[in-house]
Amino acid sequence: MTLGSFVTKNAFRNRRRAALSILSVAASLFLFVTLLVALREITVPAETIGAATRIVVRSRISLASLLPSRQKDVIKKIAGVQAISPFSWFGGRFQSEDHMSFAQFALDPAQVTTIFTEATVAPDQIAAFKTNRTACIVGKITAERYGLKIGDHFTLTSTVYPCSLEFKVAGFYSGTIDDRNMFFHHQYLDDSSGMDGWVGTWWVKARTIEDMPRVIEAINKAFANSSAEVRAETERAFQLNFVSMWGNIKILVHSLCSVVVFTLLVVSASTMSMAVRERFRELAVLKALGFRRRELFGFILAESFGLAALGGLVGIGGAWALYTFGSIARMTAGVFVSFEVTPRIMGQAAVVAAVLGILASIAPAISVARMSVVAGLKTLD
Amino acid sequence: MALPLKYNLANVVVRWRSTAATILGVALVVAVYVLVQALAVGLEASSRNTGDPRNMLVFRKGSTAESSSQVTREQFQLLPWLPQVARDPAGQPMLSADVVVLLNLPKKDRVSEANVTVRGVSPSGKFLRPQVRLSDGRWFTPGKREVVVGRRLAAIFADLEPGGTIHCGGKLLAVTGLTEAGNSAFDSEIWMDADEARSVFDRENYSSVLVRLTTPEAGPALRDRIENDKRLPLTAMPETQYYASQTMAAMPIRILGNFLATMMSVGAVFAAMNTMYATVGARTREVGTLRVLGFQRRAILIGFLVEGTTLALLGGVLGCLLALPMQGWSASTISLETFGETVFQFQITPVLAAKGLLFSALVGLAGSFLPAMRASRLPVIAALKSL
Repeated sequence: MTLGSFVTKNAFRNRRRAALSILSVAASLFLFVTLLVALREITVPAETIGAATRIVVRSRISLASLLPSRQKDVIKKIAGVQAISPFSWFGGRFQSEDHMSFAQFALDPAQVTTIFTEATVAPDQIAAFKTNRTACIVGKITAERYGLKIGDHFTLTSTVYPCSLEFKVAGFYSGTIDDRNMFFHHQYLDDSSGMDGWVGTWWVKARTIEDMPRVIEAINKAFANSSAEVRAETERAFQLNFVSMWGNIKILVHSLCSVVVFTLLVVSASTMSMAVRERFRELAVLKALGFRRRELFGFILAESFGLAALGGLVGIGGAWALYTFGSIARMTAGVFVSFEVTPRIMGQAAVVAAVLGILASIAPAISVARMSVVAGLKTLD
Repeated sequence: MALPLKYNLANVVVRWRSTAATILGVALVVAVYVLVQALAVGLEASSRNTGDPRNMLVFRKGSTAESSSQVTREQFQLLPWLPQVARDPAGQPMLSADVVVLLNLPKKDRVSEANVTVRGVSPSGKFLRPQVRLSDGRWFTPGKREVVVGRRLAAIFADLEPGGTIHCGGKLLAVTGLTEAGNSAFDSEIWMDADEARSVFDRENYSSVLVRLTTPEAGPALRDRIENDKRLPLTAMPETQYYASQTMAAMPIRILGNFLATMMSVGAVFAAMNTMYATVGARTREVGTLRVLGFQRRAILIGFLVEGTTLALLGGVLGCLLALPMQGWSASTISLETFGETVFQFQITPVLAAKGLLFSALVGLAGSFLPAMRASRLPVIAALKSL
């Protein structure tokens, strides 16, 4: 019998215990991966190719304050600006729903394809969208959720503007990091809300990445000391603002991760010492046969590490398979969209599993090393 | 005949080495459950604490939060003359036209930023909200660009202590005092004069109007009166009810808590099972002896179930104790209705602790059921012979 098969036989001779240990490690690592992925999703907005040359301009007071539409002509004239569109959050509730379930934005239909380059929309749908004032483009995820088809009508009641509007579905978009939103004509909003002359934010497309810093500075300067000061920033910086709004919740999830890992450690360490205590007598026999402490420690370590690794494989692999092949958007009703299990997160979880396997073997190894052969042979259980 | 309770309880203590780890495992699971739920409870409590039952809040029909509501000056002019509006001893109508604005401010680290709710109140605004007390410095003077800040908010954001200045849209506001509002939503607000707020933030309209009723029963009458007035696209709601409904942000926290508890308890059940199987295995001979003495299978089954549940309950108690030091700690997050920062406290209520204990007992029951079944089914003779 080789050493390898000896360790394997030992690990699985109490199958039930081995299975329970593996499953408890797997459950904890599954949770660990889920927490890390969720944290990443809310704190690290995904980067897209088009975002590199997009600038978001909002009111210096806060995102909730509106900007005057006369600013458009000023921004348009700044060198390096390729396109500009108003971008106003409508905050509408779908049909008779109680809460907002997806975001809607009013924009300039002529600029959709120039600014949001990564969105894929069929050319005929774009054309239909541009020509009809009440038309809208709906994200693929939202369209699937409500079973919307081209030509369908639906009503949105705004919680921000004093109006409720009826829209006609002109097309669908996909291929962006967030295929949940809905876009419609800003003109339609201006005409119906009675708040003509105001926009939520400006979205600006710079010609090249090199133009970005200069354009941002120029926009900020253009309205300094005016009654509507603005904050222009890259789309990424804009998205990161939302991240800091989560406040302590981030720290909370972080500490939860540590508690999960610690619990895991306690439980697995206890399982390992249970397994070793059960065979104190055998280990004493091995000692009597001339095996050295180092070798005995090797046996225990290999077994503990092996169980933790298997648990890790099941837990991490399970999480990866579920979030990669399952539809996370449907599972969480659109709260999470990408839920990507990155190699980095899997690596982190694998390291936790490995460290766990090693740490859990230390306590039992020490007690085996300390035991005298005679005492060990006399142990009953 | 049932097994004496003492037998199983003593066993939990005697085998402390293997039971300690399980107890600690369950304790951590319960602590996490209780803490996350305490967060949600605290968030809801700060909303529920807010408001005065004698007040009605008037705002635009269809808006879900004050910050997205608008009341024009013409509309406001009509309100003081409504018969349901109380009058102070001097005969003046008691109502406050408020302006609610979100202001982006840097936090203490000066790197991250968040939105803070700035509330402009009419001179009578603070008398209508007796919850808000000045705890430091002095009240703002209208016309001098001064503000008072919730003490808990000042602890999180930069330059909000008395003497500090807030930069907004090219204008400066001086902080003159700190307020305390008894763990209510007003703890997360900056207050200043309403008309000054309109000029600083370039707002033509007010956001909402707070009205003191002649009698608390006059509420529905006021609402009907306002809703039936063609000139007023407004509605009214009891102030307490408005704030009580602002608890959407607690939902994701609750879901997170339940998800965590479920996942972690799966791990804990496996761990408890492991311990209980080991316990049963090590006591095979004891179980045989008990059977010979005349204890029935059912007594053995119940005995081990009691043992496992006690084990987990001990963990539950420990978990609640572990969570307790967090009681009253401040946390802050974005409110999903107003999009402003809300400060609130962890609140571990007796109900929550009881839920945690129940939860741990369930983990214990689930974890010890199979091992207990096994113990009760051991063949007597073989059990007696085993080492």
